[in-house]
Amino acid sequence: MKTKALMFILVVAAGITFSFTGWAQTAGAQSAAEKRALFMRGAELWPVYCNTCHNARPGPEFSPSEWNMIMMHMRTQANLPAQDARAILEYLKGSR
Amino acid sequence: MLELNRRLRFGCSRKMVAAAIWTLPFAIILAGSMARVVSAADSGDSALLIQIKQEIDQLKADREKDRQQIQHLEQQIQAIQKQPAQAPPNQPSATQQATDQQLKALAAKVAAQSSPQSFAQEVNDYLGRYRFTIVGGAAGGFIYDRQSNINTYNLDLEPILLWQISDRMLFEATIEASLPSGGAADYELPVATLQYFLNDYMEVVAGIFDQPFGDWYEDQSPFWVNRFITAPLPYGANALVPGSDIGLQLRGAYQWGAVGQIADYTVWSGNGPGYNQATCTGNTSPSPLPSCSTRALVGDTLVGVNNIRLNTHTPAFGARIRVYPLPVESELGRLEVGASTYDGKWLNGLWLKSWGADFNYFKGNLQTRGEWIQSYRQMPGSIGADNRQGWYVQAGYFLAGVRPPLMPSSWAAILDKFEPLIRYSGVNQRASVLSDISTTPGIGFNGSPAVFAPHAREVALGLDYWFAPSVVWQNEFNFEMPGAGGFYSDTGARVGAVPNDRAFLSQFAIGF
Ligand code: HEC
Repeated sequence: MKTKALMFILVVAAGITFSFTGWAQTAGAQSAAEKRALFMRGAELWPVYCNTCHNARPGPEFSPSEWNMIMMHMRTQANLPAQDARAILEYLKGSR
Repeated sequence: MLELNRRLRFGCSRKMVAAAIWTLPFAIILAGSMARVVSAADSGDSALLIQIKQEIDQLKADREKDRQQIQHLEQQIQAIQKQPAQAPPNQPSATQQATDQQLKALAAKVAAQSSPQSFAQEVNDYLGRYRFTIVGGAAGGFIYDRQSNINTYNLDLEPILLWQISDRMLFEATIEASLPSGGAADYELPVATLQYFLNDYMEVVAGIFDQPFGDWYEDQSPFWVNRFITAPLPYGANALVPGSDIGLQLRGAYQWGAVGQIADYTVWSGNGPGYNQATCTGNTSPSPLPSCSTRALVGDTLVGVNNIRLNTHTPAFGARIRVYPLPVESELGRLEVGASTYDGKWLNGLWLKSWGADFNYFKGNLQTRGEWIQSYRQMPGSIGADNRQGWYVQAGYFLAGVRPPLMPSSWAAILDKFEPLIRYSGVNQRASVLSDISTTPGIGFNGSPAVFAPHAREVALGLDYWFAPSVVWQNEFNFEMPGAGGFYSDTGARVGAVPNDRAFLSQFAIGF
C-alpha cells in the first residue's frame, strides 16, 4: 500500500517536473551583461552560502570544469536554489 | 685727347697748350696709378668679393632654412596647444589609439598561441566536456584516552569521485579507507549516488547516501568540515538514526522572499534501519560459537547500510525541511532552522520513528549550531520501548576579531587562524549493550570515549588552527561527565556511576 502510494507520488512528481523547462548547469548562451549580473550576485552570495557548513573555498582552488562538477555536488549537498548556484558558479569561475 | 688736339688745331692759345703739357704727365701718372688700382680690383680682390658673395648667399640660404624650421616648430607647438581642445576629454589620443590597437593585436596573437584561458580551453576540449575529478578528505591523528589507557595514531582517507555525465547528471562515490587503532585497513563505500537535476526546483538522487536527517551525517561529518574531531554523542557510537541508507531522494529549494530567503526540502525512501542483534553475551571466539537465538535488546546499535538485510517489506521514509529566514542583504548573518523525520520498520511490524530539529547560525567570525533528536523504537514482547533522546549545541569563534592590547602586530596573522570551540552533547536511553559499544575511541563516528553510558554527557573543548580553508590542525579535549542510571541490557547489570573520563585528540585534516 505504502509502496503504491510512493510510486504514485513519484510518477506524479516526475510528470510535473519534466514539464518544466530544464536546469542546465552551464546556462547556455548569455549576454555579457547577464554574465556580469550573475557574477555580481555570486560574489554577494559566496561568502554567505559557502561559509555555512565549512569555510568557503575560493575560486582559484579548482579549474572551471572542476567547479562545474563541484557546484553540482554542492547544489545537491546544500539544496541551493538553481539560480543562486549558477551565480556562485559564475563567480567562482570568474574569480580565478 | 682727341678733343684736346682738335682744340689745339682749331684755335687754342699757347698758354692753354703749355698748361696742358704740364698737366699731362700728372694726368698720366694719376691715370696709371688709377689704372693700377682698378687692375688690382679686377684680379685678387674680385675673388674675395665672390667668396664674400657666396658666403652671403650661404647665410641667406641658412637663414631661410632656419626660418622654415622655426615655422615648422611653431606649427607643431600650435598643433600641440590645440590638441586638448580638439580631442574630447575622454577620447584617447591618436597615439593612445594606436597603442591600444597594437596591444589588442598582441593580445590576440598571444591568445591565439597559448594564454592560460586558451590552454585550459584546449585541454578541456581534448579531455572532453564532461569530466571526472577526485575530491575528498584525509585525516591523520593521535588519540589518548585516560580510562582505556589508549595512545594511538589513526589514519583515514576518504576520496570522493565526481563524474559529470551530462549537464544535469552527476555520479558521486565516496570510498572510505581507514586504519583504525588496533585493526587492519578497512574499506567502505559509504556513498555512491547518481544525481539528476530535473529542473530548477527538483533533483533526483539514487543510490547509497548519507542519511539526510538533520545536519550532521550529510553536512557536517567529513573530517575537514567537522570543527571537532569527534561526532557529537547523538551521532556517535550509539547513534539514534542510521547514518546511511539505500534508496531514492527528491530534493530541491525555493526562494520565497528576498535573495537568501529560501526553503529547501528533501524527501526520501530507503531500505530502512537495522540493528545489531547477534549479541550472545558470554560467547567468545574461537568459533564455532554455540548457537544462540538473536534477541533484540534495548540500546542495540544501528548497523551501517552495507549490512542491512531488508527485514521488512516496507521501505522507510524520511523528510527534511530547512528554512533560511534572513535575507543576504540584511547582513544579519545566516540562520537556518530545520526539522527532520525518519520512519521505518526495523523488524516486521516494529517501527523506528524519529524526528529532529536543528539550527545553524553564522555571522562573521562566529558559528553556532545545534540539534535535538528524539527516537522511538518499538520492541518485541514485553521489553518496553527503546526510546532515546540526543542533543548537542556548539559554538566556535575565529580569533580574527580579537586584538589583545600590547600584542605584537606580527602575531595577528597567526591569531586570525585560531578557532576555539566548545560543544555540549548528551544522550538519554534506557540501556546500552555492553558488548556492542566499543569504548575504544576512534576518529569520527565513535570518537567519544565514554559513550557506553546510557546517560552520557560530554563537554568537548576544541582549538583549531586553519592553515587554509580546508587544511586544519585540530585539537580536542573531551570531558565525560559521570552520570548514573540505566542498565546494560545484555548483562542485565545496572550501570551505576560512570567514571569521569578524559580524552585528548589531535588531528591534521585536509579537504582536497
Ligand atoms: C549544507 C552544507 C554545505 C554548504 C552550504 C556548502 N557545502 Fe561545500 N561541502 C559540504 C560537505 C559536507 C562537503 C564534503 C563533501 C562530502 O563529503 O560529500 C563539501 C565539500 C566541498 C568542496 C570539496 C569538493 C567536493 O565536491 O567535495 C568544495 C570545493 C565545496 N564544498 C565548495 C562549496 C561552495 C563553493 C559552496 C557554496 C555554494 C558550498 N561548498 C556550500 C557541505 C556544504
